[in-house]
Amino acid sequence: MDEQARSVLNRVIRRIPNKNIKNLLSKWNCLSADQLQALDYTKPKRMIVEHIIDCCESSNLNLKHITNLEMIYHLDNPDQGTWYACQLTDAQDDAVCVELTQFKEQFKAHLHGVIRHISIKMKKHEDDAIWIRIAWGDNFSKPNHLKPTYVVHHLHTSYVFISNLMAKHKIFLCQALVVATRHGSIKDGHLSTRSLTAMRDLLLRRYQQVFPSAQSKIQQERDSPPLHPCIGKEHSDYEEMRHQMACEAFGHGPTPKLETAVYKLETRYRGNGNLTVSDREEFFRGVVRFSSSSLLESLRNCVASGMAEGPVTPLLSAITRRGRNSFVITDKGPGVSSQASAPRA
Amino acid sequence: MALLSPYSKVPELNTATVLLVENEEELQNKLANAIVQHEKDFNVNVRLAKKLPLPVENKEARPRIDLIVFIVSLLSERSLQSAESSLSHLHSDCFLGKVCFLVTDARCGSHTQERLVSVRKLAASHHCPVICAEHRVSAGMTPISTTALYLSTLTRCSLTSDLQEDYLQ
Repeated sequence: MDEQARSVLNRVIRRIPNKNIKNLLSKWNCLSADQLQALDYTKPKRMIVEHIIDCCESSNLNLKHITNLEMIYHLDNPDQGTWYACQLTDAQDDAVCVELTQFKEQFKAHLHGVIRHISIKMKKHEDDAIWIRIAWGDNFSKPNHLKPTYVVHHLHTSYVFISNLMAKHKIFLCQALVVATRHGSIKDGHLSTRSLTAMRDLLLRRYQQVFPSAQSKIQQERDSPPLHPCIGKEHSDYEEMRHQMACEAFGHGPTPKLETAVYKLETRYRGNGNLTVSDREEFFRGVVRFSSSSLLESLRNCVASGMAEGPVTPLLSAITRRGRNSFVITDKGPGVSSQASAPRA
Repeated sequence: MALLSPYSKVPELNTATVLLVENEEELQNKLANAIVQHEKDFNVNVRLAKKLPLPVENKEARPRIDLIVFIVSLLSERSLQSAESSLSHLHSDCFLGKVCFLVTDARCGSHTQERLVSVRKLAASHHCPVICAEHRVSAGMTPISTTALYLSTLTRCSLTSDLQEDYLQ
């Protein structure tokens, strides 16, 4: 096994708590039952890694197997690193007919055509997601397996999720995706999270949405037991209304776990002070950043509890409505309009 | 502006109604449960509100209010402001022994001390008592039921209560 294979293996094993290593290795299915049995997971990590390397060498495993292991690890632990969303646009007529094999072939063919040394691995996961691992080289050097890019795409949706992509490779990846999925172009999705699951749930609408309706009022889930009959709430109607409003904006039940929302201001200062004309021409640049361990949950709670007055500002509800967490606010409108805001990363 | 008045309705037999007003809507649930469970001799109804004025829609169904408790969290400036603005919706008759202030988290820092002083001044200017309560459990009784005990004492004697403050653990 060469140095790179060893490093990749080292990195993968180091990340996992000892108790989960066995599970991963059995899924990998490259070591024999005896070898797995022989591993002692109570030893320090360094020794476990060395033991596994020995097993791999005696089984004649190489880099290919190791990268497979890494991929299995990422499939099981998707919420690592930072993921960015991109959106495919201008679907051509045959975009809906793209089959998996066709996609795979075209994607690989395109990238192999533009970059001499590149290593591409594709796997289809159980929920119809296609996972792609790309180790980039260039015309002179071998692929670097220590900094692979991961791409996840659900066929026939317009979203692509990307992790660990360097700026210089972006154009190649985008071209390949556009060609393989039969679309006209791809654009920045303005959404980035640590959790792939959250990103997917938000964009593919896999959370409980609530639509405004005169008839249906969602049941408020009470964490506490029902109230004693002698206790009455004066503002129960308002409470229900606030709860309804909050759920319409941010969803009902468990929400996708976003961590931040960023609003960049490019507006002009409009105060009443004694400013010269030149001051007024300058942009008042500011950035408003919301952070939370679960942002949508916090925002929903703020609205439902009355801490934030309703109705919910479109700037915040745009997070769920438009599936993004990065916005640029300009002078042209009070909200975020597609014409006014220039798409920025 | 319709003010909440204590004498606009006829009292019910063997029944008292306490109104708990709290901006945060946190402590009032626990306190309400403690009150209704504690009082066995006569019926106590508890109504929970976030602030005053109370919704007009409930006016007919609402029973006569015998005691109004403003729960103020000293950790939040808004809590005190909300209580203050709610006071203006009470008829002056209420201040004859039917209003009291309950403050929480009085020992959590310097800002809370300043706010406690403001609450005391506010309460004193309206001739209302101030009770301090803690969320944390101490040896012996849980604080909430003790507060409930005190409140029910207040409910029973609707004469003007002492202006002294009581500290309960």
